[in-house]
Amino acid sequence: MTDLPGPLLLTSTGVTGLVVLLLLSVGGAHVARRRGERRDAARRAELTPLVYTLLDGEQTAEALADAPAVLDDVVLHLLPQLRGSDRQVLRDLLVARGVVDRASEQLSARAPWRRGRAAMLLGATGSTRHTPDLVTLLEDRSPDVRSAATRALGKTGDVAAVPDLLAALTTGRAVPSGIVGMALLDLGTPALPALRTALDSGTAPARALSASLLGLHGDLPATAALTAALDDAGAPAEVRLAAAGALGRIGAPQATGALARVTVLAVEPALRAAAAEALGRIGDPDSVPALAAGMSAADLRVRTACADALASITPEGRDRLRALGALDGPAAPAARAALDAAPLGSARPLAGAR
Amino acid sequence: MRETLGDALLLAGWVLTAHVALFHLVTLLLVLAGARRVWRNRNWRGVEGHDETFASPLTPAVSILVPAHDEEAGILDTLSAALGQKYPALEVVLVDDGSTDRTFALVAERYALREVTPRPTADLPVDGEILSVHRATTGDPLLVIRKTSVGRRSDALNAALNHARHPLVCMVDADSLLETEALLQVSRPFVEDPDNVVAAGGVIRAANGALTDRGTMLEPRLSRRWVVRVQVLEYLRSFLLGRTGWADAQALLIISGAFGLFRRDVVLEVGGMDPLSLAEDAELVVTIQEHLRRNRRPHRVVFVPQTVCWTEVPESWQVLGRQRTRWSHGLGQLLWKHRRMIGNPRYGPIGVLALPFFLLFELLGPVIELIGLAAVVTSLVLGLVEPAVAGAVLVLAIALGILLSATAIAVEELTYHRYGRGRDLLGLMGAAVVEHLWFRWAHSWYRLRGLVAALTRRTPVWTAMPRVGFSGAPASAERLVPAGS
Repeated sequence: MTDLPGPLLLTSTGVTGLVVLLLLSVGGAHVARRRGERRDAARRAELTPLVYTLLDGEQTAEALADAPAVLDDVVLHLLPQLRGSDRQVLRDLLVARGVVDRASEQLSARAPWRRGRAAMLLGATGSTRHTPDLVTLLEDRSPDVRSAATRALGKTGDVAAVPDLLAALTTGRAVPSGIVGMALLDLGTPALPALRTALDSGTAPARALSASLLGLHGDLPATAALTAALDDAGAPAEVRLAAAGALGRIGAPQATGALARVTVLAVEPALRAAAAEALGRIGDPDSVPALAAGMSAADLRVRTACADALASITPEGRDRLRALGALDGPAAPAARAALDAAPLGSARPLAGAR
Repeated sequence: MRETLGDALLLAGWVLTAHVALFHLVTLLLVLAGARRVWRNRNWRGVEGHDETFASPLTPAVSILVPAHDEEAGILDTLSAALGQKYPALEVVLVDDGSTDRTFALVAERYALREVTPRPTADLPVDGEILSVHRATTGDPLLVIRKTSVGRRSDALNAALNHARHPLVCMVDADSLLETEALLQVSRPFVEDPDNVVAAGGVIRAANGALTDRGTMLEPRLSRRWVVRVQVLEYLRSFLLGRTGWADAQALLIISGAFGLFRRDVVLEVGGMDPLSLAEDAELVVTIQEHLRRNRRPHRVVFVPQTVCWTEVPESWQVLGRQRTRWSHGLGQLLWKHRRMIGNPRYGPIGVLALPFFLLFELLGPVIELIGLAAVVTSLVLGLVEPAVAGAVLVLAIALGILLSATAIAVEELTYHRYGRGRDLLGLMGAAVVEHLWFRWAHSWYRLRGLVAALTRRTPVWTAMPRVGFSGAPASAERLVPAGS
């Protein structure tokens, strides 16, 4: 070790120098950032009223074409909050300033964040012109870009993208279901026919997601297909689970029979609990016997879900809960707790038409 | 004889040098990987889709679990922050774990609690007796469970898990303040990838010295106490960069008990919190990953560096010592319990990277440092090593340590820059130097005590940290703007 001082000292000096340089840079960056923030805040304060004058029709997009770049940030911040003609005005402004064209070019940029931000910007403009480019990005090598493109497609409102979005769930470079789901929800009710089709003939993840979304939309015409999916013992568990939840959200009493069968007879506790919860949402008194039977399930989740469902069916369900609560056995504590937690007064009426 | 002793001392010196060099190299790689990720995230700022997550009906509901034992100093602030989360569907389950102070009385008064029939949703074993369950009548989604304490936070958490209703559970310490969008940010991976993400953690920062108002962080400020400042820096290195780096390597071992979000079904599947472990948070994360890997189920444990939870850190050496000894004891328990995973490729990066790192550097580090240091001092006394060599090695080790801290400060300033005041930044830079004068050595000593406690199988003791509460601030209108908004 005696030969080391020279190289060691040299290394130590180098590292120390690096530390000093880093700390000095940090100090400089701190000062520069504070100045930059103040400058940007002043510019924003100056430019924001101009955007409002543009929206009021007192200014033209061409007049703002050469304004500082921070204007784009102001416009992009406002854009998702606006609809209709106001949105169109801001979109025209972005086109006039060349922002949209630049974003279009950036879709093939090398850095993933540039591609992603460009996709989000194009989506925010709500234009369907770039749908094919965004669909291509669903297969991008970067997962972040794929997610951004998915969100952007949702913002464009172009229902033609629904099959591509559903297909993106199962491609080699798949997009997570939560992101696809949010995009499909953004597309709104025009996407419902495509979702009904996917429920019947899609892949398992597409069927499950379609079922969930149809439920969230409260799509009554999908009741029969959802009931069939729930009743199909050979269907993937995720599809049946999603179908049960969807039927509850739709609130269709036509599904009471199928949901009651699953509550009592299914093997999977999660599915039984989901079916019981759905019965509670529907609130059909015909489901009381099945829910009462579910109260003797070995699984606590099933018992709790059945108890909660019974509590939401007045007066029949609550009467049954009182009876169960007075007895001994595993159902009693769940029954008493559900009654205690239930809001006073009557539960919701039947949500759907018989 | 002298020759043999000389060889042994030389070997010990080399082991110490190699250990220090390897530790700094690995840590530097982690810090750089973390810095790269944080820098990349910066480019996506503003387009992460948080508003969409908030508005989406697909966003899963969250139960925030808060175990509390003698937390009167800050419990109302913690609950305000938890209940004030910008999140579409949540409930807070507070467990008053045998408090002897006014914790329950304060909560009962503020939220007009009403006793209700217990409504368990799971049946994890709980050693303490559940005394009563209460619900807020103020319209807040708050459930309060009173139980007798058995001196273990994990027991309180299991009681909370038994009453949580939502598919995600967020564990929060009772001395912590969540930023308004913290839950929204940390839940984003679950919303986007619900099939695979099983756990997510965020950054923990020290709240000591900061200005807060009713659970809202108004202005992060650096405490004047050096013992706190050094911990602020340590948390920056560990959370902002270290854990981001580990998460990128798919080897995240620890999600802090102060703030972590988990899929409830998976937590129940592994039997909840280990009642005897002192490393509850890390223990849970490792157990989940071991279970899922053994069953070949795809999963992801993620870290969200932009998410912040502010917490109280020890302000005295005595309390810091107890905390760090407990952590080290817990780490020893954890590594022993999961010893089959260490170096085992079957468990992926956790087995071959994270666990060996924690064994070699975190658990055994103090032993190697102690033996190495003793060897260097003896060598110096016996004249076997020139003082210049020993001095040069020491300077290099310290310089490398400061370089790591400086990198963390640089990344913080260039990305999140939570500390707006220049003097706080200078304080952090000072802490980077001061740390090596005493904190590092004291920390090694505490870790060594924890290791001894683990080796001697000492009965785990969970000691509550004395709380001072959060700093108040005049609630003038212009101040009521949360930090980070």
